[in-house]
Amino acid sequence: MERRKFFGLSAAVLAVAAAPVTSLNAVNFRETNKGVWESEKTASAIKELFGSGGLKKTNKIKFDAPKLAENGGSIPIGLSSKLDIETIALFQDANPRAATVVFSVPEGQKVDYDFRIKMRQTAMVTIVAKTRSGELLTTAKEIDVSIGGCGG
Amino acid sequence: MASSMKIKAKEKKGVVKVKVMFKSLMADKEEAKKKSIDVDYIAHIIAKANDKVVFEASTSGFMSENPLLKFNFTGAKKGDNLVFVTTDNNGKTDTGKTKIK
Repeated sequence: MERRKFFGLSAAVLAVAAAPVTSLNAVNFRETNKGVWESEKTASAIKELFGSGGLKKTNKIKFDAPKLAENGGSIPIGLSSKLDIETIALFQDANPRAATVVFSVPEGQKVDYDFRIKMRQTAMVTIVAKTRSGELLTTAKEIDVSIGGCGG
Repeated sequence: MASSMKIKAKEKKGVVKVKVMFKSLMADKEEAKKKSIDVDYIAHIIAKANDKVVFEASTSGFMSENPLLKFNFTGAKKGDNLVFVTTDNNGKTDTGKTKIK
């Protein structure tokens, strides 16, 4: 299983000619794919992580986020899906770098995550997921962040 | 830096609900500069139940301070051990353990 994953990942990395695979830990995207974490824009970060394959809009991934966030330092995000997803990542355009979190979903588990992120301004938040059959799915939402946290 | 995490795990009908809070400033480059503190964030989180990986995430400094995570997984029962290992930006690891209730 590990082996298969590793090959899959290295193929993806080679495809975008990103950082060479230096670690055998196939799933630590921090080490295997450094470019992602340096990308400033969502589009280029997605390209680094998932290659330049076509993204398909989906409504099969449930993406919960407040429309208006009163506190930019702690925005609750909920992700869930019944699909068989391998990797799911969150990108935003509000911060100096786009990549926020990348989950590697272990085989047999379903996506059901709740967590919080920081955003320093109003921006689009994009979710990109890769299913085990190799499809790339995406969904996005704009989150309003009231500067100063005054809820206005 | 992260020296403690609070983990709660509860099994019900085969599904284990996990809530975990890590202690970390989650300060990325810019934020660290502004507050004149050191860059400090969790870069990688992995959770194992019975030596099987049940959760894995690579994170950046744009997660909130003291990140709180909730997730569900299947394949473990009451009394099993759940182990979390986090790696911060300097490569330092931290381990937290709990028994599933």
